[in-house]
Amino acid sequence: MAIIETFDLSRNFGKTIAVEDLTLTVEAGEILGFLGPNGAGKTTTIRMLAGMIAPTKGYAIVADHRTDRDVEQLHEVIGILTETPGFYSRLSAKRNLEYFAGFYSSIQSPSEQVEKYLKLVRLWERCNDRVGTFSKGMKHRLALVRALLHEPKVLFLDEPTAGLDPEAATEVREMIRRLGKEGHTIFLSTHNLNEAEMLCHRIAVLHTRLLALDTPDLLRRRFFRRQIIVQLETSETKVTDVAKGLPFVQEVREEGNQLILELTDSERNRPELVKAIVEAGGRVITVSEKQYPLEEVYLRLIREEEGNES
Amino acid sequence: MSRRHIRNILLKEWVLLFTDPNSALVIVLVPFLVVGQAILYIWLAFRFAGESMLTTQVFQIALQKLVAAVPGVAQLPGNEQLLVLLLSQFTFFLLLIPTMIAMTVSTFSIVDEKLSGSLEALLATPVKTWELLLGKALAGAIPALVMTWISAGVLLLVISAMGWGDVSGFVVTPGWFLTLFLLTPAIAILSFMMGVTGSSRARDPRGAQNTALLIIFPVLALIGIQVTGIVWFTPTLILLLALVIGIADFVSLRAAVRLFRRESIVVQWR
Repeated sequence: MAIIETFDLSRNFGKTIAVEDLTLTVEAGEILGFLGPNGAGKTTTIRMLAGMIAPTKGYAIVADHRTDRDVEQLHEVIGILTETPGFYSRLSAKRNLEYFAGFYSSIQSPSEQVEKYLKLVRLWERCNDRVGTFSKGMKHRLALVRALLHEPKVLFLDEPTAGLDPEAATEVREMIRRLGKEGHTIFLSTHNLNEAEMLCHRIAVLHTRLLALDTPDLLRRRFFRRQIIVQLETSETKVTDVAKGLPFVQEVREEGNQLILELTDSERNRPELVKAIVEAGGRVITVSEKQYPLEEVYLRLIREEEGNES
Repeated sequence: MSRRHIRNILLKEWVLLFTDPNSALVIVLVPFLVVGQAILYIWLAFRFAGESMLTTQVFQIALQKLVAAVPGVAQLPGNEQLLVLLLSQFTFFLLLIPTMIAMTVSTFSIVDEKLSGSLEALLATPVKTWELLLGKALAGAIPALVMTWISAGVLLLVISAMGWGDVSGFVVTPGWFLTLFLLTPAIAILSFMMGVTGSSRARDPRGAQNTALLIIFPVLALIGIQVTGIVWFTPTLILLLALVIGIADFVSLRAAVRLFRRESIVVQWR
């Protein structure tokens, strides 16, 4: 069931086009990675989907609410983690969160809800400390708690790990992973491609326009054919020749003790390939699929788009 | 839901207000300065200039209007007539308290939140713009109002302590009560609404401060009109003025909501 749907969603700032004709669907319970270079329109899209700015053309429906019309109802059911944590530094963590919780009709007891989530992110011990004394990582965790307090149907996370040290970033990622497993729909804008690949079911690449939207594997296949790497104990010409002669092998090349092959059907043909290599005297150490980093896919998409523009 | 939201804003603003030494100092110090200064002026005028002040044209006109409004004043000796005149004018002087507090407190209320980024997070909650603005205005106006009433009480004590108690019956009139309990709240809310509106439109704290300067001029004009005797504010006139300013409060809230550009705040303040 779709929980986010956009229809030709567009936004201009004066003559500058920030987002153009964005049409996409996000299923309930899905984690969608939203990638794009700086200025690609990621934050603008999130703001439109969160009902914070209106589209200049098109519209979006999030959790059954038109984002440009039912703003207050929409805000009851979505959570947003903005780029800046934005807290009252002189108030305690608990008081800050209770304040924000006080605006949601679904939260009957703000203090109980705050306690539950502060314990979840291991900040309960610091609940009475002023937020001004918190580290950047702690503020990010606190901001994530703020976005979650009312247990929203959809969570928008705008670069949740930007500027965090590796430990803090890992903690935030773990939390996102946990939320995903609990069935939250998460719209995750990030520059970190590994993070997107680790956490997201599908990835959308935006450069004002939507360039691609698919699973990481299918995005790779769009640019790179699947390749099988056979790691041999020693390289032998006879083995290579046997592999070349197999009917389902489309291409073979040697790289040191590795054979890199393209097969007609890389899943089904793999056992036959290994069998043939072993029978030819090859000593197989490992068989794996060549993994192209998502970064290469992303860069190709962006360069193609920039090439089209120029 | 609105009451819960406004109460939520009020409580948070008050915690912030009273944990900030500068704001707390302004709220305590401004009434002290206004009351102290006014008493000093009255004492100096009464002690050194005395009845001779009543010979000036400005004071003669004002006294005539005072006598018309409170006929009993005509029976008092000259120096006591002067005292009643000065003390009556002092009631309007109290209007400076909420106005000056608004100038300093409310003008930063939105700008500070823009700078810290908390406003963007706040605008992502179901809070309505009018709830936010009214909550912020009331959060400043209520303490300012309480301080004004305390100042009025202090004034009565000082009148009594200085041996001027005999004239207090001519000062504490229905007009005095109407000024304190109708006109002052209306002006307090208007001042804070203007301050919050200026703050929501300002790009930086300096801009907010510049806008805030405009708040004080209408109140200074009122004091000037009363002091020079151009108009003597009778209870009916005060009631009418309070009604007009009450309507202005409502209009200013609506204007503030229209002027509050959620999109610009979200887009421009990151």
